[in-house]
Amino acid sequence: MKLILFTALAAYVIAAIHSLLAFVNKRSALERIALWTAGCGFALHTASLVIDWVQDGRYPLYGLRETLSFLAWTIVATYFIVLSRYRAQALGTFSLPLVSLLTFAVILSHEQTNGAQGAAGSSTTAAWMFPVHTTLLVFAYAAFFVVFIASVMYLLQERELKLKTFSAIFHRLPSLTTVNEIATLAAGVGLMLLSLGILTGMLWSSERDGRIWHNDPKEILAGLTWLLYMFLILYRASARWRGRRAAWLGVMGFALVLCTFFGARLMGSYHVFG
Amino acid sequence: MSILLVGLNHKTAPVEVRERLAFSDEECATGLRSLVDGEAVREGLIMSTCNRVEVLTETGASTVSDVMARVVRFLSEARSLPVELFDKHFYRHEDDKAVRHIFRVASSLDSMVVGEPQVLGQVRRAYALAVEAGTTGRVLNRLIHHTLRVAKRVRSETGIAASAVSISYMAVELGRKIFGALDGRTILLVGAGEMAELSARHLINSGAARVLIANRTMETAERLADEFQGQAVELSDLTKHLAESDIVICSTNAPDYLITHDTARKALEMRRNRPSFYIDISVPRNIDPRVGEINNLFVFDIDDLEAVIASNIREREREAERAELIVESEVMQFQQSLRTLDIGPTLGALRQKMQTIARGELEKQRSRLGQLTPEQEEAIEALLISTVNKISHPVINRLRSAYGTGEDDEVQAVRDMFGLED
Repeated sequence: MKLILFTALAAYVIAAIHSLLAFVNKRSALERIALWTAGCGFALHTASLVIDWVQDGRYPLYGLRETLSFLAWTIVATYFIVLSRYRAQALGTFSLPLVSLLTFAVILSHEQTNGAQGAAGSSTTAAWMFPVHTTLLVFAYAAFFVVFIASVMYLLQERELKLKTFSAIFHRLPSLTTVNEIATLAAGVGLMLLSLGILTGMLWSSERDGRIWHNDPKEILAGLTWLLYMFLILYRASARWRGRRAAWLGVMGFALVLCTFFGARLMGSYHVFG
Repeated sequence: MSILLVGLNHKTAPVEVRERLAFSDEECATGLRSLVDGEAVREGLIMSTCNRVEVLTETGASTVSDVMARVVRFLSEARSLPVELFDKHFYRHEDDKAVRHIFRVASSLDSMVVGEPQVLGQVRRAYALAVEAGTTGRVLNRLIHHTLRVAKRVRSETGIAASAVSISYMAVELGRKIFGALDGRTILLVGAGEMAELSARHLINSGAARVLIANRTMETAERLADEFQGQAVELSDLTKHLAESDIVICSTNAPDYLITHDTARKALEMRRNRPSFYIDISVPRNIDPRVGEINNLFVFDIDDLEAVIASNIREREREAERAELIVESEVMQFQQSLRTLDIGPTLGALRQKMQTIARGELEKQRSRLGQLTPEQEEAIEALLISTVNKISHPVINRLRSAYGTGEDDEVQAVRDMFGLED
């Protein structure tokens, strides 16, 4: 089980290295290798998650270790989804190293999540909602990560176009219009997932404790994140904030996402399990 | 067997010399037929472009300097020019140097603009002419095929031809950088200079769908509109047309700014902040430089473009260094493949092997023969050797003819059969 994940990590590392090399050398052969090894890593990773699920009899998304593993998995999944629509291999150059790091962290941590039954296992009728809630949110984070990467790509290129000096990476990035489209689409999908995720969380919570809101730091930050991406989408639609400003918002939004994800632990949120 | 190359190019000879030495396609064919005699010059190819005239030959037994002199004499006779006129401009390369040279030429490392794409086509053309004239054989065929592979490899593995080095291509490249595919984009030409026309043509070839032309004189605008199947528009409605256009190319003689900060901002508002790309190739400038400060508007004037082109050229030169490494390793590979191509060692090894067997067998039985006179010893030796030679003779003949017609498989089969190593 651990071995499968280890092999997946090896595949991700190979994919990340080839993706970086392809970015530097611009060779399509390297890109192909990156794509195939990432695909293998993804398949192995999926297998490892499924085995976890079957062996523990519990949805494998609980506690930090499993969440990181699941997050890495969703980032690879979104990478493939974006690639199927856009020629944006450069995305892999940014996300595959992160995926490798996340998977590595997962392998390093020996955290046991036996106490899992505590929060999730409450035998209310809405218990099934908990994994739905967490899954939706992890996918939302992955989508916001794509917004972040696309926004960074936009800002880098926009800056170079305005300054009229082009670095080597300039030629490797997808066009402004493409990254803009990716960011817009990913923000829309991310917001939808976030909304559904928050909603299922509320329903689950109301079933369990009879209240939908706890003023928990994680809840507040998630609410702020929701507002920020809503703002981003509305402003983009109204055409007043296209391009650079929207891209900055995409970067800021992700900072907020990171706060929500990790920061809540530090602030003593009850959303910390395992 | 040697590969020789005699020629001159834009670096060694001025255009007055190059143009007088240039060959037309027909002249190439007839020239090659007279140059290649099947003995001293076994194969030949002439590459004649505006930047170079080169003769590539494969020679038989003759000495290198003889053949070089012969090629020079051929050129002088073919073009009816005195040798002195061009002799000092020639470079003469032999074997690996000649191979390296042709690799570099095809990879566009020897071009005026490093990385320009035309030269590969010219090499192909020169080869096609030589094939048609029947003056290529196993060495040049192999060399040119290898050359085309090298050029392809250099192109795909280095960024030697990656970035634009002319204004009109720059427009396309930057346009792509901003808009992705240019399909369906609208171009506006303000003024109708030659450079603007050329840029528009490149943009249309890259997918741009619609061209608007605004010019001070309506006739010129309409003429261009006809040519591009576009639309002539009034210069007075500039803001409206700016709003419609994704790419704007300005090239008028107007003494001051046609597109002011205000105009540009209004136009951008009208197109709901969708990005626009303005190119200003007029001097004095027609677009207020402050327009470039507006979000979602990207303005490049002639100096900006020239600066990017200069840096692209530097980038190409850096990439050229990587290309040289590829060429170097390919030269070595080609030399190696040429060695296996050479039949001599195979024949020698075959004879050697058979004679060793014969002598070995004699050695084993020698004691049984008792005391022999030197004449007898000699006779036995001669008997063995001539038997071996008689047996191997048809094999060697077959090998020679297989080699001559390029049936490498057969040569290899014999090598395998007799267990010959390199």
